[in-house]
Amino acid sequence: MDNPLTLKQRALILASFVAAMVLTIVPLPGAIRLLRPDWVALVLVYWCMALPERIGVGSGWVLGLFLDVLYGSLLGEQALAKALLAYLTLRFTLRLRVFPRWQQALAVGTLVALSDLMLIMIKSLVRGHPPLWSDTAPMIANVILWPFLFGVLRGVRRRAKIS
Amino acid sequence: MGTFLGWSIRRPSNLTKLILCVCASVALMVADSHNDHDARVIRDTVLRASYPLQELAALPFSAGQAAFEGLRTNARLRRDNAALEAEVQRLAVKAAQLDALRAEVAHMTALLHGSAVPGYRVSLARILNVSSGPFSQRLTLDEGARDHVFVGQAVIDVHGIIGQVISVSPDTSQVMLITDPDSGIPVISERNGLRAIAFGTGSQDRLKIPYLTVTADIRPGDVLASSGLGGVYPPGYPVARVTEVTSNPNLAFLKIRAVPLARLDYHTRVLLLWPRKGPHTRGAGHG
Repeated sequence: MDNPLTLKQRALILASFVAAMVLTIVPLPGAIRLLRPDWVALVLVYWCMALPERIGVGSGWVLGLFLDVLYGSLLGEQALAKALLAYLTLRFTLRLRVFPRWQQALAVGTLVALSDLMLIMIKSLVRGHPPLWSDTAPMIANVILWPFLFGVLRGVRRRAKIS
Repeated sequence: MGTFLGWSIRRPSNLTKLILCVCASVALMVADSHNDHDARVIRDTVLRASYPLQELAALPFSAGQAAFEGLRTNARLRRDNAALEAEVQRLAVKAAQLDALRAEVAHMTALLHGSAVPGYRVSLARILNVSSGPFSQRLTLDEGARDHVFVGQAVIDVHGIIGQVISVSPDTSQVMLITDPDSGIPVISERNGLRAIAFGTGSQDRLKIPYLTVTADIRPGDVLASSGLGGVYPPGYPVARVTEVTSNPNLAFLKIRAVPLARLDYHTRVLLLWPRKGPHTRGAGHG
């Protein structure tokens, strides 16, 4: 809360979320679609780590609500998962920051997987959808993508002097 | 620490925020699963706010069809190539015969203007989003209540029936494919008039037809057309071709698989049908 963000910096953060959502709903052919990482979750985790005072549980919830509508899923299930993810990230953010990159990727992947587990539980409780092995494919994609996404987003953040 | 009306207050902790969010989510989920009016208002509002996102995501489809082609599998490209070569041969013959060509043009025009589906008016809609999985097979179209789309409307392509509209918002609509596990479509065998119901399986290239007894006259290769029973789908439009009939002496019913004739995973445009008589008629179809 020390130095308020300029309008341009806010727009940049918003743009990163918009890009993540577009990447999430771009239509892909069958086999590749299974391996689509959870872009929004990863970008959310990054900004929670970088700006824990500004991006947090509330932002995660609103993002999740948008995802619910875009997926056409039960209203509130993604919102719940993303709020939980933001909370977990804020909780472990000091530890996450000092991890080496590959260890960080595993930790972030685990956090996202935890929030996915929440989703799978809600789906099986409310709609009777059993968990599938193919649900784990995006979790692996998340871990692989994280180091690259982290590098790109950090570059963007440093260039825009967001802190 | 901050102040509110002269009282000094603390910012809520993250845990407090999480608990609030969880309560809000649970309330939304309960409301949504009971198809509550307020939940629908929230969904429509957010959907309208996110409409530019969907347009953005659909851009690669309309702008870079070539780039999308590159992602397709080699095998499918080869198959397409063979089919296209055959098409070229056929068209070369046709080009030599002006009459035949003229007939073909008349046929295409008739299809687009809806004469191929008597009693229905037809309009083209663009696919914005495809969600395909073992539990739901849906499309999002770029036409909604403002374009007079209504729930229960039939959606087809030139090869056969695709599905029906299940929810409508002002600018978009959701279509349930005939391969959705919740979908059932009354069909009739074109060879002998046998009636049946084709259910979705959650896989885009397969339908199943349960509840036909072992004495039913059905064999692989039979074409199933919609029977028009139930009033949702137009009668006499192709739906599926039977691929596999297995008879297990332990079971009372045949196990029948069929493949949808509509090319569910190919096009970016589909046709919406409006019955010519009835409350939902259109000012001018732009098909």
